[in-house]
Amino acid sequence: MRFWDLVSLIFENLSRRKGRVVLTAVGVVIGTAAVVLLVSLASGLQKSATSNLYGIDDLTKIEVYPNYGGGMYIEGPGGGSTDTMKQLTTSALQEIAAIDGVKEVIPKEYLMGGAAIRYGRLENYSSLMAVDTDDLANMGYKIDQGSTELRKGTAVVGSWVVQNFYDPSVRPGQEQPTPPTAEDLLNQKLRVVLTKWSSDGEEIQKTINLQVIGILQEGRNDGDGSIFIDFGELTTLNEWFNNGKRINRNKDGYNNVVVKAEDVDQVVAITERINELGFMAYSPQSMVEGINSYFIILQLVFGGIGAIALLVAAIGIANTMTMAILERTKEIGLMKAIGATNRDVLSIFLGEAAGIGFLGGLGGALLGWLGSKVINVVAMSFLASQAQSGGIPSGLNAVTPAWLLIFSIIFATLVGLLSGLYPALRAATLAPMMALKYE
Amino acid sequence: MGRQKVHALDGVNLDIAPGSFTVIMGPSGSGKSTLLYLLGGLDRATSGQIWVNGKELEGLDENDLGIYRRKSVGFIFQSFNLIASMSALQNVIFPMRFAGIPRGERHKRAVRLLNQVGLGKRALHKPTELSGGQQQRVAVARALVNNPALILADEPTGNLDTTSSFAIMKILKELNEDGRTIVVVSHDARMRQFASHMVYILDGKIVSEAEYEEASSFEIPEDDTEE
Ligand SMILES: Nc1ncnc2c1ncn2[C@@H]1O[C@H](COP(=O)(O)OP(=O)(O)OP(=O)(O)O)[C@@H](O)[C@H]1O
Ligand SMILES: [Mg+2]
Repeated sequence: MRFWDLVSLIFENLSRRKGRVVLTAVGVVIGTAAVVLLVSLASGLQKSATSNLYGIDDLTKIEVYPNYGGGMYIEGPGGGSTDTMKQLTTSALQEIAAIDGVKEVIPKEYLMGGAAIRYGRLENYSSLMAVDTDDLANMGYKIDQGSTELRKGTAVVGSWVVQNFYDPSVRPGQEQPTPPTAEDLLNQKLRVVLTKWSSDGEEIQKTINLQVIGILQEGRNDGDGSIFIDFGELTTLNEWFNNGKRINRNKDGYNNVVVKAEDVDQVVAITERINELGFMAYSPQSMVEGINSYFIILQLVFGGIGAIALLVAAIGIANTMTMAILERTKEIGLMKAIGATNRDVLSIFLGEAAGIGFLGGLGGALLGWLGSKVINVVAMSFLASQAQSGGIPSGLNAVTPAWLLIFSIIFATLVGLLSGLYPALRAATLAPMMALKYE
Repeated sequence: MGRQKVHALDGVNLDIAPGSFTVIMGPSGSGKSTLLYLLGGLDRATSGQIWVNGKELEGLDENDLGIYRRKSVGFIFQSFNLIASMSALQNVIFPMRFAGIPRGERHKRAVRLLNQVGLGKRALHKPTELSGGQQQRVAVARALVNNPALILADEPTGNLDTTSSFAIMKILKELNEDGRTIVVVSHDARMRQFASHMVYILDGKIVSEAEYEEASSFEIPEDDTEE
């Protein structure tokens, strides 16, 4: 029997019993739609969860902090905590740089005291930060205006910093002036006023001037709320806070270093390795992987719920096909008498069962897809109303990838095929004479 | 299968010559249908051998037996066994779909055969819209589509009135004259007139057999009562 003759015969047979085929397929439709909808929801949740992650911009980055020992860890039995303090010293940095797959180790420092940033009458309390690299772009910070190459006396400003300027002389209730734009700020001078207290409680101030040479794009990372200055300049300021004592990198180490991996695939291994060395390493990638594995489980659970619905549908198909064989026993005998082989009969009945699965899968994929669209529309309007009342819109939506639709149709077809296996085998092996005598 | 062992056929030794018109007669339950089904490869004998055209049927597996039925045998049943949802034309086309004959050829052949059995104008009617005699003629056309050398008919006129019966007998006779081997089980004494070979069965045994030189001594009267 030729393939297309088989296919057309299968669909003729199915259309002969439209009512029953439709009723049987409804079960498959519901099961498939459930699978599509639930898995879409799970992957939508995953997408919004990972895209909302803070600092997700560069997945090859690992943030490493010194381990101050104790405190962070629960003490072991007997109270003996390993009080080893691991500082990010110059030699520690070399140790980290030697790990396989590490491309760069870049120290990062924060200002160790309070600073007010003034722009004309406006004020701002963003944190000052410095990275030991010639070009901030090396760290994945993207420039919006100007340049990222810092020298002494210059600053690159994060995107949120610009909007955070306010006028301290404006009284509560009065209108604040509109904050400057990035264009306003570029090439302007900022005054940074540092304050420290002497041992006898006297306030000591120091003022430096910085020229804004660049404004960063919003990166959803630590750069957004920071003002970057030259690394040496920040060290000098920190030494001022430290009563003029020089900072010895071999002993005191750095506040924080950023490790860049050559490849995203190596990030988790490098992070583990750094933790083994005794430091505190954190990478967005390990969090992403944690979240991903959580969502894979969620997808499996959701998919499993849908699969149970499909299992019920499979029983329905098996039942329909068994009934069909009883009703069509004589027809099966006749088909054999006029030259159908056992293989032909098997193919026809398997094909009919798979056809019910396919039709149901098609309907279910369509329904599930439409359902996820409806969810998105409803979620959107709900979130819009939330946003109006001041809430932050989170990205709840269902994401239906094409592979899910194709997979679910194939899966439904396979479910049909499998549930038709036993009835079809019975039909194929019916003794023709007995089948012909059957009333 | 039953509680008691039944020998539907026992010690049958039968030769059917190519191109003969064999009529099998005998009382109900004597084993006529069983013999016919065995010849057509629809049933398997528990012991013994059936040779057709140099092939031993017992030696064929299920699929080969299917091919044998498709290529070598045309069946005609007492109860027509047409598929109710298909038109006369589709019913005739049906066996050719298993045989893998191309669409255009299938259609041409079915139309020609329906014309041959005098049902060309009723090709698009469903079986329920046809008389018993017309349905049986559709079944005859269906039996012929794969051009089998052997036509097996189990009481083809059993459900028909005299006139329709006669039309079917006439068609069978014409097929025999074309060179096909015909084996008919019949209770109708008139069938004897067409036979070149008569077989009488009683309780699964051949009790009498006769061969005639002249296939038909019976003059078929011209009657075209239908259409
Ligand atoms: N599947 C079966 N199992 C057991 N016995 C059977 C089976 N089929 C037929 N028989 C028996 O075999 C014998 C011959 O049956 P068969 O159908 O060949 O008779 P027949 O000559 O065609 O009769 P009729 O003229 O009534 O059609 C009968 O005794 C019948 O009961
Ligand atoms: Mg019989």
